[in-house]
Amino acid sequence: MPQIFPKALNPIAKMIVLGLPLLGGLTGVTGAAFYRSSYATGQGDTPAQPVAFSHAHHVGQLGIHCEYCHTTVEKSGFANIPPTKTCMNCHQQIWQGADMLAPVRESYKKDKPIEWNRVHNLPHYAYFNHSIHVAKGVGCVSCHGQLDQQNLTMQSSTLLMEWCIACHRTPEKHLRPQKEVFNMKWDAAQAGPNPKTGKPYTQLELGLELKEKHKVRDAVTLTNCSMCHR
Amino acid sequence: MKPDSTDIAATAPDALPPALLGPGRDEFPEGAAEFADEPSRRRFLTLMSASIALATGAGCNLRPAAQRKIMPYTTQPDEVTPGVPTFYASAAPLAGYGQGVLVRSSEGRPTKIEGNPSHPGSLGGAGLHALASVLDLYDPDRSRGVIHRGTPSSWEVAVAALRKALVDDSGQPKNVKLRVLTEAVTSPTLAQQLTALLAAVPNARWVQFDAVSSANAREGILKAFGKPLNVVYDFNRADVVVSLDADFLGTGPGHVRYSRDFADRRKLRAGGKDAAEIAAGREAATPEKPFKEGIKSDHADALLNRLYAVETMPTNTGAVAEHRLAITSGEIETFARALATAVGVTGVPPGGALSKAAQDWVAPLAADLKDPARNGKVIVVVGDHLAPSLHALSFAINEKLGALGKTVKLVEPVEATVAGKMMDLKALTAELAARTADALLILGGANPAHTAPADIDFAAALTAFGKDPAKFSLHLGSHVDETGVLCDWHVNEAHYLETWGDVRGYDGTATIQQPLIAPLHGGKSAIELLATLMKGAEPGVPGSPRDPLEIVRETWKGWFHKKNPALTEEKKHGDFERFWQTAVRAGVVAGSASAPVAAALATTWATGAAASPPAPGASDLEINFRACPALFDGRFANNGWLQELPKPLTKISWDNAAYLSPNTATKLQLPKIDFRWTAGEHGRAEVSVLEIEVNGKKVKAPAWVLPGHADGAITVHLGHGRTRAGTYAAHTPDEPNAEGQPYRGFNAYPLRTSAAPWSAPAKVTKTGKTYFLACTQGHWAMAEKDPISGKMLDRKPVRRGSVTEYKKNPKFAKIPPMATGETEGINDNMPHPKGYKDHHAHDQRLHPLNMYAPAEGLAPGMREFQQRRWGMALDLSACTGCSACVIACQSENNVPVVGKKEVTRGREMYWINIDRYYAGNEADSNAVQAYFQPRMCVQCENAPCEIVCPVGATVHSTDGLNDMTYNRCVGTRYCSNNCPYKVRRFNFLTFQDWGTDTIKLGRNPDVSVRSRGVMEKCTFCVQRIRGAEIVAERELARWTGLTDAERAAMKNVPPPGYRKEPDPAKGEVLIKDGEILTACQAACPSGAVVFGDLNDPTAAVSRWKNEPSNYGLLAELNTRPRLTYTAVVRNPNPKMP
Repeated sequence: MPQIFPKALNPIAKMIVLGLPLLGGLTGVTGAAFYRSSYATGQGDTPAQPVAFSHAHHVGQLGIHCEYCHTTVEKSGFANIPPTKTCMNCHQQIWQGADMLAPVRESYKKDKPIEWNRVHNLPHYAYFNHSIHVAKGVGCVSCHGQLDQQNLTMQSSTLLMEWCIACHRTPEKHLRPQKEVFNMKWDAAQAGPNPKTGKPYTQLELGLELKEKHKVRDAVTLTNCSMCHR
Repeated sequence: MKPDSTDIAATAPDALPPALLGPGRDEFPEGAAEFADEPSRRRFLTLMSASIALATGAGCNLRPAAQRKIMPYTTQPDEVTPGVPTFYASAAPLAGYGQGVLVRSSEGRPTKIEGNPSHPGSLGGAGLHALASVLDLYDPDRSRGVIHRGTPSSWEVAVAALRKALVDDSGQPKNVKLRVLTEAVTSPTLAQQLTALLAAVPNARWVQFDAVSSANAREGILKAFGKPLNVVYDFNRADVVVSLDADFLGTGPGHVRYSRDFADRRKLRAGGKDAAEIAAGREAATPEKPFKEGIKSDHADALLNRLYAVETMPTNTGAVAEHRLAITSGEIETFARALATAVGVTGVPPGGALSKAAQDWVAPLAADLKDPARNGKVIVVVGDHLAPSLHALSFAINEKLGALGKTVKLVEPVEATVAGKMMDLKALTAELAARTADALLILGGANPAHTAPADIDFAAALTAFGKDPAKFSLHLGSHVDETGVLCDWHVNEAHYLETWGDVRGYDGTATIQQPLIAPLHGGKSAIELLATLMKGAEPGVPGSPRDPLEIVRETWKGWFHKKNPALTEEKKHGDFERFWQTAVRAGVVAGSASAPVAAALATTWATGAAASPPAPGASDLEINFRACPALFDGRFANNGWLQELPKPLTKISWDNAAYLSPNTATKLQLPKIDFRWTAGEHGRAEVSVLEIEVNGKKVKAPAWVLPGHADGAITVHLGHGRTRAGTYAAHTPDEPNAEGQPYRGFNAYPLRTSAAPWSAPAKVTKTGKTYFLACTQGHWAMAEKDPISGKMLDRKPVRRGSVTEYKKNPKFAKIPPMATGETEGINDNMPHPKGYKDHHAHDQRLHPLNMYAPAEGLAPGMREFQQRRWGMALDLSACTGCSACVIACQSENNVPVVGKKEVTRGREMYWINIDRYYAGNEADSNAVQAYFQPRMCVQCENAPCEIVCPVGATVHSTDGLNDMTYNRCVGTRYCSNNCPYKVRRFNFLTFQDWGTDTIKLGRNPDVSVRSRGVMEKCTFCVQRIRGAEIVAERELARWTGLTDAERAAMKNVPPPGYRKEPDPAKGEVLIKDGEILTACQAACPSGAVVFGDLNDPTAAVSRWKNEPSNYGLLAELNTRPRLTYTAVVRNPNPKMP
């Protein structure tokens, strides 16, 4: 039987044999990299909002407590976006004529809600619950970043499942005393010296103690599917 | 042409106008996933490559999460916490009577109905119709506006027309011949308004018409006691119950309460006793903590109640009876007279001859009733449809046995009437036809154009009346139904969840209904409609437009002040306000139950009783009419949940049929193939079509052979074959009913006459045609062939025994050789007793010959992580098969409706199936016994489904749940193949309705809405578990996060909002028993389901599982089910034939 391909094609065949797995691998790596890229996850995005609300101003400069607006964060799975009434509590007195606040006044007058663009866009099948995270001592800053420095609110995390799971496996990396949950500037060293080492607490040392104290459940339980998916 | 062929012309003579159809029309795209032709290999490959290409494309969704909006309130109501549902008390009305419910409001949308534990008619349980009523609120076919002669109009114009017709220029009511047509009315407000209106308009009359009424019972009471009264039974105190065709566990305004009372006397509990102690009636050496439900086994035969059922069509009540006698309706009165004579009632009218089987019953039954040990703790209860003379007779028997006032209580009537102003439907129809009446108001629910007996041609009369321009007719209803379309005016009615109202329960207890949502389509209630004719409480116009809240408050203010006449002026307001708030919040008006009446039996109770009805002629069968257990009189015909629900006992979905016994079927020479009452594994049963003729009217109906039905009779269910109910009840051109019309089921009303509304002689002939019915009993059978002999193995799913057997061997349900390891295995589900020392390194709980690996989270080394171990126990003795749990589950877990065609492919999505098993000889209707077994995912500890899932979409949680992760599932269906219980359901098509806006509103936001290609199954209501866990863990962390000084300041007692750490050594658990109720458990009228933490030895679930009669379904497979059953123990009378 005569050969179908000329001998000159042999190097090309070898290159294909070698190249195919490489190509496959590269596609996989590219795919994974793309999947995790901030473009795909939306990390770092600051969606435009109908009112250019600045956390940096209200939290960072004025020092308004998170819960003044997000009242249900300790009671409910959903940390509510404040009703227009909450804005008007202050803005009836100050900046009452500012152009920037026109949509707020409009909403209040017409009893029509302000349509905010969602920044942290979890999939429908993931049931995140704010109240339990706050109760167990996960600070706002752990997921939302330095809100006191953000003008328009930014998506600070990837919100990928691996990001959720990372903390559910090792919650000690993010635990803090319950009183410090809303503190944007807290770090473990502020807890004072560790009686065991005599040196200031590291996050890991304090986290492990708090995990015990706040009765945070074990990693196996915390990564059960039905913890988040129902 | 075969009935299921698709080449029938798609005629829809009564098509609804497109505007009313709404987007719900295309809810079930038929055959959306089916290949039109048998795929060839080439075509298959083409499609597969195309689908891979498409999947790749779909996977390249660059920004996975679409941009979404958040819309906060402008002013947030105080009581709303977004994300936390609120419960409001109300009452679900049915045929005038209310059942107390708690309605869950998720961000302002009613999403789930539960029973109200403080309502005497509910005690926490709920009936089918109450549970399904939330779907009616979102019915896409509800009428959306006021219609005047087919054109849209407005409420204001309708009110002006109403006033013009009824009120003169000076604002005073005209003395016109006003006719008000309603169903039974118990609402105090509506009754007050109608009373005032009838007083102000002397010529006005009130017509009450219920297609399924208790008129015979009322008449019987009138005969027996000489005045109108209501009867309330106390089944909890009755040792012996005789039901004369009364389905008191399945129908009627009190059935939920009666189920609970009755079932509590069937839950046999050993309380820690061993076999010897049970047999000897001794106390347990180490007794368990006493608990309130159920009865103790040492008094088993004395305290376990006993039910004798005499009935025609098998009902839920008959199915749980110890002894069941199947006789025709005609013979029941004869039987009752013989029984009355035997117990010693004097003056019993003479009865005719009895069949041998019935004759054999009389003496032993009478002896059991007369037994001095009973001491009046007996009940003889008669079905509402039976003759008044029989009702009167039952009171004579109850009186003779000393039950009157003890277990059979008489109370003031609950229903409202106005003496001298009532009129019946026949007279009204005559007036309408002659056009002698002036105005007609038809208020909510009544639909006589569909439901009137055949001899009263209400539809024709109303057509003539409605067309006369000089006459005024107005229909207030939720749909433009058969009656509404004939009226001059149609006003859309508000659902009970949309408006204020009040209604009374079976014992007269009143509930104030509060709205949870503004009327979706701007509907109005009957109260609001009548208020437009009222100036304050008195008739007259112009009345000020009033909030229905004000009207209802006014009624109760009057009631409160009448009840508390001594209140001073300054206290009056505050006290009423407190009373009102309490009553609305609790869902019960304290002290409003009808007052008990001590009435003596009238001496004339037996007068006027007809001689026993003659048996039908040799060529005739007796036809019986009964309300459909799901669709009732037809008002729920457009409720997809109830249409699809496999009806209790028959398990037929989407249809009704003519039910008849195997012997009658043989007599009618029906083909043998009709005798498959399971319809096979696909649930598609091709059955003969019968022609039924009563008084010259003919109806075609599919025959369904039902073991246990009385010979010589057939039964048909009313409520099907509605022509104008909406999308779900019609418009299935390829699924015509037996008559060839495009409606669901056949309409049996044309066979009914006002003289014989419940049973009549009928001629039944075989037509030779066939029809297919969808029946779910054969679906997902747990059957298995023995691989060697090829015989079907009996898996003994329901285990049953008598008290005698139980005393001999309380562990009778754990039968060898199937379950050698089972007994110990299930008991090992329990925490080890105190002082137990584990000498063995390995986990003893594991069977040595285990086929399946233990789940990761439950592996021996992982036990320390099992802070909570969820389990469920179900008492089959208490289950009556009512199917309330099925609807509750459907509502809670967003389970879709699939349509009849898909049901016949075995694709319905119910997470709970109620299996019905027969015992006995089908040829002898009296010997047939039925058993029910609700079957859902048993959450195996060694789950066969988990080890075969290639993508890890179903895995175990550490607390013992078999988690199903929808977003991981790729739809291989390996899990359902490997599930021995066959409880996994696959979304073959897009069964969820993603298009209809109103349906979307009603979904539970805490449960994912599954789409096509995903497996699903019972989750033990994991959303409720996690919800309760989050609350508990939150409170625990708050407490443990405090410093010692802070805790000391609280005296070490956690205030509300805090929770102490439990001590496992003392058997303490964080989440207390009863904090989590699964949807099925909450709904169960008889309290047959318990759920809780197995780590808590005092929890009901632990105690039930420790009962000797507790067994695991298919436990011999060593799947270690977390859901176990308590065997059926019944208390038969050994002297009975």
